Amino acid sequence: MSAIITLSLLAILLLYLGLFKAGRSLLPISLLGLAAALVMYVMQWAGDATPIYSGMVLFDHYAIAFSVLCILVTMLVMLLSKGYFDAASVHVAEYYALILFSLTGALLVTSFHNLAMLFIGIEIMSVALYILAGIRKKDFASNEAALKYFLMGAFSTGFLLFGITLLYGASGSFDLAAIKAYVIANPQGVSPLFYAGILLLIVGLAFKVGAAPFHFWTPDVYDGAPILITTFMSTVVKTAAFAGFLRLFYFCFIPLHDFWEPVLLVITIITLFIGNITAIAQQSFKRMLAYSSISHAGYMLFAIVAIGPAAASSVLVYAGAYSLASVVAFGILILVKRATGSDHFEAFNGLARKNPYLSAALTIAMLSLAGIPLTAGFIGKFMMFSSALADYQVLLVVLAAINAAMGIFYYFRVIVSMYFKPADRDEVTMTAQYQAAIWVAVLLTVVLGVYPTLLAGLI
Amino acid sequence: MSVFYFVAFLSVFFALMTIFTKNPVHSVLYLVITFFTFTVHYILLNAQFLAVVNFIVYMGAIMVLFLFVLMLLNLNKDTEPLKSNLVKFMGVIAGMCLVVTLAGSFRALESSESIILKDPDIGLVGNLGRVLFSEFLLPFEISSILLLTAMVGAVLLAKNDPKKA
Repeated sequence: MSAIITLSLLAILLLYLGLFKAGRSLLPISLLGLAAALVMYVMQWAGDATPIYSGMVLFDHYAIAFSVLCILVTMLVMLLSKGYFDAASVHVAEYYALILFSLTGALLVTSFHNLAMLFIGIEIMSVALYILAGIRKKDFASNEAALKYFLMGAFSTGFLLFGITLLYGASGSFDLAAIKAYVIANPQGVSPLFYAGILLLIVGLAFKVGAAPFHFWTPDVYDGAPILITTFMSTVVKTAAFAGFLRLFYFCFIPLHDFWEPVLLVITIITLFIGNITAIAQQSFKRMLAYSSISHAGYMLFAIVAIGPAAASSVLVYAGAYSLASVVAFGILILVKRATGSDHFEAFNGLARKNPYLSAALTIAMLSLAGIPLTAGFIGKFMMFSSALADYQVLLVVLAAINAAMGIFYYFRVIVSMYFKPADRDEVTMTAQYQAAIWVAVLLTVVLGVYPTLLAGLI
Repeated sequence: MSVFYFVAFLSVFFALMTIFTKNPVHSVLYLVITFFTFTVHYILLNAQFLAVVNFIVYMGAIMVLFLFVLMLLNLNKDTEPLKSNLVKFMGVIAGMCLVVTLAGSFRALESSESIILKDPDIGLVGNLGRVLFSEFLLPFEISSILLLTAMVGAVLLAKNDPKKA
């Protein structure tokens, strides 16, 4: 809890710094605050977790692991933000504060123990993002992204709330432990309201994680929002939304697995195919990453379909691998777009000759996203597939393997552009912060790929 | 019970009118009436405070604000976006699926014995405050972050950027 309080206060401090025109100190202070929150979380690891504040939040190992991942990725995103917002507007401090508020919401979503907290966490996370997506006020695509995200988000919140209401109507409590006790006490005779509640919650949460057929907002929003915000959305927010999704289902709904499994199975398969097939057709690197994020949502849903004791660690590894690779990919996209003004695949032509290290970093990120061995992405996919196989979901794994092959095709397009399509171009320059963020992410990707037990055995 | 059915009928009727009427101003006015019937529901459920808040804030303040915004927007037939029949058809199917799911789950419910309230003052603001400041203290406090976020965002979006020299 102290970490969440620290982050909220940090965001307010940043607002004051913005008031007093202390623009230079914003980034170091945010990073320091985030590091402090990180340390607070790590120190909580040893203690035994009990729900606190009348059972509102529970900082168990699950919550701490996902929170640390979210904070770490936010730090990387913040490093990339150096000089990014200045071009968009003068209110840089407010943007940092909004990112931190959004992170606070994400941390609440990973550690909720009461449906009221889940709702408030998701709302804090989303409201800050609606604004961040529309930072570029003069840019039509950015406006469209903000408005679309807002309308879709508000709509899906309606489903989520309705689902929560029905769960409350059936079980008489918002508390996860009480709902679990209710489900276990009535294994056969759970009220029909409860089933309708689960369905509505699936709809609401599938909206939030961007799973098909509720994915329509994802490509436009990810494409229209400024690249840095897209990075934040597709890493931290997605990780937190999945952590919340899995937490709810793992805590409460396992006894009713037979009921909701077919629903999620269909959603997973549709998500995989829609994400991958549409990603193949894209000409823009940014839009390709947006569609591929849909397909990654599909892979992460595996853990919830084949829910079991290993589900938490496989989502953690997958989300970590995906977030790190995304930070690298989007970070390099920012640099390339700044140099060439375009985010199409052609913009990467001949990059390898001028910036060999940068191209190597992007190659590793793409390999990780595609799931090639010796990268973290492979371990993530491996854990997902093996957990699905342990649940005898053979058809799902076969379909997913086909999709992974499709994924390799479009991820390799950018590698081919960089290495085999010569073009005259200037060297892409970058600041020390960019180098730090990109190399930390690449290093973690490779380390996790070689020593997966570092993360896999945590929870 | 007959009061409930009458008010429930009015709620559904005016909610449908909100959707089906062509004129956006009429639509908002119907929505105001829908909210008024909700207020009656809250009173029937013995939730007096909620009824008052719903009446003053939602019906009174927010919907009137809505009306002003609509009038400022100057909506008319020409600006109405085109909706293809396919989209309407899909919308109807999706909506009906939701109705069937909900109707199915509500149908299987048995109506419980009518409950005699132990504490008729349960919906008063005092009881609500006691719950908010004891059991639900954390969500209550955390909502302040939500409000602050929304406030910062509203100012940020509404403020005019100074032109760069």
